[in-house]
Amino acid sequence: MKTIAHLWNALPGPDQVKRLVIIFALLLSCWFALRQRLVPKTFGDAGHYRLTAIDSIEAQPVSYLGQSVCVECHDDVSDLKSASYHRDLSCEICHGPGAMHLEDPETYQLRPPKGRGLCTICHAYNPSRPTGFPQIDPMQHNPLEPCNNCHDPHDPTPPSTPEECGACHGEIARTKAISHHAGLNCVYCHETPDEHKHNPRAAIPHKPANRQFCGACHGENANSGREIPRIDLESHGGSNLCWECHYPHYPEAY
Amino acid sequence: MHWGILIVVYPYITGLVAGAFILASLERVFNVKEIMPTYRLSLLTALSFLLIAPLPLLLHLGHPERFYEIMITPHLQSAMAMFGFVYVWYLMMVLILEIWFEYRQDLVVLAREESGLKKYFYYLLTLGSLDLSEKSLQFDKKAVGFITILGIPSAFILHGYVGFIFGSIKANPWWSSVLIPIVFLFSAIVSGIALMVLIYGISTLLRGKSINMPCMDKLATYLLNALIIDLSLETLDFIHRVYESVESIHIMGQMISQKLFISLIVVQLMLGTLLPIVLIVVTKTFNVPAELRRLVYFMAAIFVQIGIFSTRWNVVIGGQLFSKSLRGLTNYKMELLGIEGLLISIGLLILPVVILIVMIKILPPWKEDIGAAS
Repeated sequence: MKTIAHLWNALPGPDQVKRLVIIFALLLSCWFALRQRLVPKTFGDAGHYRLTAIDSIEAQPVSYLGQSVCVECHDDVSDLKSASYHRDLSCEICHGPGAMHLEDPETYQLRPPKGRGLCTICHAYNPSRPTGFPQIDPMQHNPLEPCNNCHDPHDPTPPSTPEECGACHGEIARTKAISHHAGLNCVYCHETPDEHKHNPRAAIPHKPANRQFCGACHGENANSGREIPRIDLESHGGSNLCWECHYPHYPEAY
Repeated sequence: MHWGILIVVYPYITGLVAGAFILASLERVFNVKEIMPTYRLSLLTALSFLLIAPLPLLLHLGHPERFYEIMITPHLQSAMAMFGFVYVWYLMMVLILEIWFEYRQDLVVLAREESGLKKYFYYLLTLGSLDLSEKSLQFDKKAVGFITILGIPSAFILHGYVGFIFGSIKANPWWSSVLIPIVFLFSAIVSGIALMVLIYGISTLLRGKSINMPCMDKLATYLLNALIIDLSLETLDFIHRVYESVESIHIMGQMISQKLFISLIVVQLMLGTLLPIVLIVVTKTFNVPAELRRLVYFMAAIFVQIGIFSTRWNVVIGGQLFSKSLRGLTNYKMELLGIEGLLISIGLLILPVVILIVMIKILPPWKEDIGAAS
């Protein structure tokens, strides 16, 4: 015992530090020991993961088959779909995994869910979606009606061309309806080719390309109602087009 | 929304840890004698909150039972994994060591005076280091000073890191700013000081002692200074954004005036920053009686806590309220009962207080010869 005390005192440094060093050394050893036990054998062999994880994932049963397998039997549907706007959607996105169906098509039928929940994942109005992407407000667009009552998911173009622009551009229509421009028809400003109704992205409506268009109502000498705000087209706004600063669907905003 | 209220709680808690520790270090490094009564309490508070700090992350990530994996297989190139290293460093090399050196003398005394299991428990905590010679105590004091100096940059790194994680997300215009780590740091100091005003005040009253007013006055002065710096930095950030006017400015303006109006303008700016500044300035300017001063400091500290929580909310939730294409605003619906819900978050905020109460029982922070009542 005396020898241990003698040895302990012979070690350099204050007593507290020596004890702390021992504790930290013990903790570090525990950490190394735990690491030896807990880190899987193949961890780090090919990257920051367990290499054998690939085998265990491979061993999982296959649920999804991929579109190429569906096409082998359902070529009629595939032909229809591949010419439609849904051509890039794989069958199993809506119908669910098809592996069981392939094994026993009679017992395991693949039916997509009815109702409006699935379609609105992509088609409910969301401001961050690209302009022109078909979006609806589920509360206003034929509420409670299942989507596939009117739209064939394999060729989802609306069965009849919408008469009002607001059917597709609902957000803009609603904004315009409460603005001073509510009385103007969309086509008053947007020259719209007929083709736009059938193929919206191939034939895009025009926007006013000069300042004189707005000046027809808002210019100083315009022949329009006295309550309409007037500006001097020569001095106001430099060479910018009016709609570069003023939002025409809600002109009061700026 | 990917980051919910748990990720709001996370920077809030780490901010309290860093703030409480920086307050404690003022006494040791800068020799501010007035705040001595809060020194040990601040260390224990920092430790209690630090122990809970990773929990919101673990619960948010899912599979909290895999918590040890970040420690055994850390990814050295991951900015997120850095939290593990900073955390372990701060916990093991700063807080626990400083508390151990600070309490060693008391632990030895307690190990001698207590009986039964308690005696052995305190003996275990001393690690057998029972030497109370002048030389040994002098070394303890030096060690505490050294660790505190080491601890200040560590506390800055701990919370500056949390700010860095947000500030370095370049795809998000609300977060991406080099000022964010600094703003986080000063808001952390603000929240830490305000927390200590509350904890010191309430614990002293619960013990039936009278509050040391010079200490409270000094804490209020520090709180005021930190609030002014914090407000200046936030204003600088705001002016910078408005002057730069990059394309995101419209959606940011829309978000501040609509979705974040209550939490940013009303709660964070008015209730959590301007009102406490006005309260403390008025109290300092006029000859206000001690009791009223105490009450005003309490109120200011509570408002600051609400304001800083709101700051974290505005950063974390605000950064996700607009679409990535800057076209419009989205919503955040908070869960109530889920693992990422409100109740769990409230639990996570109560838990450090419970741990603190237990720690105070084990390591009494009050020496009768300090904190003489005014």
